Amino acid sequence: MALLEINHVDISYGKRVTVKDSNITLEKGEICAIVGESGSGKTTVIRAVLGLLAGGGKVTAGDIVYEGRSLLKLNDKEWRALRGHDISMIFQDSGAMMNQTRLIGNTYVEYIRTHENISKKEAWAKGAEMLGRMRLPDPDRIMRSYPFQLSGGQRQRVGIAMGMTYQPRLLLADEPTSALDVTTQAQIVRQMMELRDEYGTSIIIVTHDLGVATYMADKIVVMKNGEIEEQGDRAYMLHESRNEYTQKLLDAVPSLGGKRYV
Amino acid sequence: MFDEKDLILEAKHVTRRFPASGGRQLLACNDINLKMYKGKTLGLVGESGCGKSTFMRFLVGLDTPSEGEIWFRGMDITKLKGRAAWENHQHVQMVFQDPSTSFNPKMKIRDIVCEPLLNFGRLKRSEKDKKARELLEMVELPGDFADRFPHNMSGGQRQRVAIARALALEPEIIVMDEATSALDVSVQDTIIKLITRLQREKNISIGFICHNLGLIQSFGHQIAVMYLGNIVEVMPGEGMAEKCCHPYSKALLDAVFDVKMDFSKKIEPIKGEAPSPLDVPVGCPFQDRCPHCMAICRETRPTLRELEPGHEVACHLFEKGGNP
Repeated sequence: MALLEINHVDISYGKRVTVKDSNITLEKGEICAIVGESGSGKTTVIRAVLGLLAGGGKVTAGDIVYEGRSLLKLNDKEWRALRGHDISMIFQDSGAMMNQTRLIGNTYVEYIRTHENISKKEAWAKGAEMLGRMRLPDPDRIMRSYPFQLSGGQRQRVGIAMGMTYQPRLLLADEPTSALDVTTQAQIVRQMMELRDEYGTSIIIVTHDLGVATYMADKIVVMKNGEIEEQGDRAYMLHESRNEYTQKLLDAVPSLGGKRYV
Repeated sequence: MFDEKDLILEAKHVTRRFPASGGRQLLACNDINLKMYKGKTLGLVGESGCGKSTFMRFLVGLDTPSEGEIWFRGMDITKLKGRAAWENHQHVQMVFQDPSTSFNPKMKIRDIVCEPLLNFGRLKRSEKDKKARELLEMVELPGDFADRFPHNMSGGQRQRVAIARALALEPEIIVMDEATSALDVSVQDTIIKLITRLQREKNISIGFICHNLGLIQSFGHQIAVMYLGNIVEVMPGEGMAEKCCHPYSKALLDAVFDVKMDFSKKIEPIKGEAPSPLDVPVGCPFQDRCPHCMAICRETRPTLRELEPGHEVACHLFEKGGNP
C-alpha cells in the first residue's frame, strides 16, 4: 500500500478551480519533487495534504488517502494528532513561521508539549538534542536565541529539526531552499537526503529549481497552470521525456560548462 | 585578455568599515581592486554578507568607501558631491533584487520608466507616452503595459520594467544586485537572455551580483569571487569551471545543482558558516572552512597573485605559482 495517494483531486478557492485532477502516489521512503513556475498550484497541492489550504480553499473532488484512510474526513482532534507528528511541513522561511518575540526554545517546547505529556525541562532537553542531531552548532545557544538572531540557513535547519522531532513518515517541504545561498542550499539538500537514509522518511519537495529536484527526487511531477503536465521517475524525465514544457524547465537550469550567452 | 583602452572603471584599494556597537568595527570590504571594461560583464560572487552589495553600491553612489578610490570618466567618484554626484548618476544605474519593493506602488509603469529622463530634463512631458512604449518594447513587454501598476504584473515582468528604467538614461554601467534571485529558474533564464542581448546592442558594462557560480558563468566575462570582504579569486568567465582553483571557488562550484551532474555523487558542502565580519580572523579569511588549511594560513593573509593573464588568486597553495 502506498503511503500517500492523491486521487483525482480538484482544489478550489471560492468558485475558481485552481488545481485540476491531480494524481500523485508516494511510496514509503520515496522522495517526490513537484516542480513548476510560480502560480502553477504546486504549493496548493501539498498544503491540501496537510489540510492547511489558505483563504477558504477546499478540496472539491477526489480524495487524499494517507495510509489507507482519507484525510478529508478527519476532525480537528485527529488533525492535531497527525500534523507535526506523522506528517510535518517545512516552509520556505522557517523563521517566519515562528513568533519573532519568543525564544526559539519556548516555541519548540510548546510544540513538543502539544504532542507529548512531559515537563518543560524535558521538552527543552529534547529540543536541544534534536537541534544537535541536525548538526546545528551549540544547540543551547540556539534554543536561547530569537529567530531574527539566526542566519537563514540556521533558521531553516531549526525548521527541519522541529519537523523531524517525531520522525514523521511524511515530510512536506515547500521551497525549503529558495531563499538560501547556493552553499547553504547544498547543506540543506544533503541534510534532507540523510533524513530518508536514517529515518526512512518519505519527502515531497516543492521547488522551481529542476537542478535541486533532479538531484533529490526519485520521482518528478511537473505542474503547469494547476494541472499535472507530466510525471515520471528521474531517468525518464531527464532523458526520455518529449514534453516541451519539461524540456523548457530543464534548459533553464544554469549548467557548469554549459551554454554561454556571450 | 581585456583591452586596457576599454577600461572604463577602476576601483583601487577600496575599504569600507562600518562602526559597530562596543567600539568595534565591521569590515565589509577589505582592499578591493577591480576593473570594469566597456561592454563586458563583471560578476561578483559570494555568500550573503560577504560585502558584494556594499562594493557595488559605491559605484552607484549609494554609499562611499572609508578608504580607496574609484576612477570613472576621469574622476574619482567617491569624492563627488552635490551636483557633480547627481550628474554622475546618469552614467551608472541600478537594478535591485526585488522589483516589487523597488517601485512606488502608486505610480503607473509609464511614470516609473520615464522618471529618470524627466528628472534629468532629457524628455518633454508630451513625449512621455511614446518613450514609455519604446522602452517597454525594448525589454520585450507590450507597450500597453504603460497603463498598468506594478502590482498588476508578474515578478519577471516587473524585473523587465526595472531593466527598462535603468536603461532609460542610456548609462555606461548597470549594476544588478541579485537581479534574478527572486525569480523562478525559467524566468531567470529569459531575463539573462534579455540582459545579454541589450548588452550587445548598447555596449554597456554590467556589474552583476550573484551567489550562483553556475548562473554567472553563462554570461559573465570576468568573475570575481568574494569572501568575507576580500576578493579571493578573479578569473575569466570562459572555461571558468576548469580554471577556478581557490578552495572557496571550488566549494561554490560544488554547491551548484545541475541537471547534467552525476547523481550518485554525494554532495560535499563546505561546513559551517562564514565567520562574522566583526571578528575577521588573522591570516586567510577562509582558514576555518578550508580543507587545505596550513600553518601559514593562520598567520599571514594571502594576497592576489597572477597565475595567468586575467586570472588572479589569493591563496597560499599557489604562492609558488604552481599547483598544489
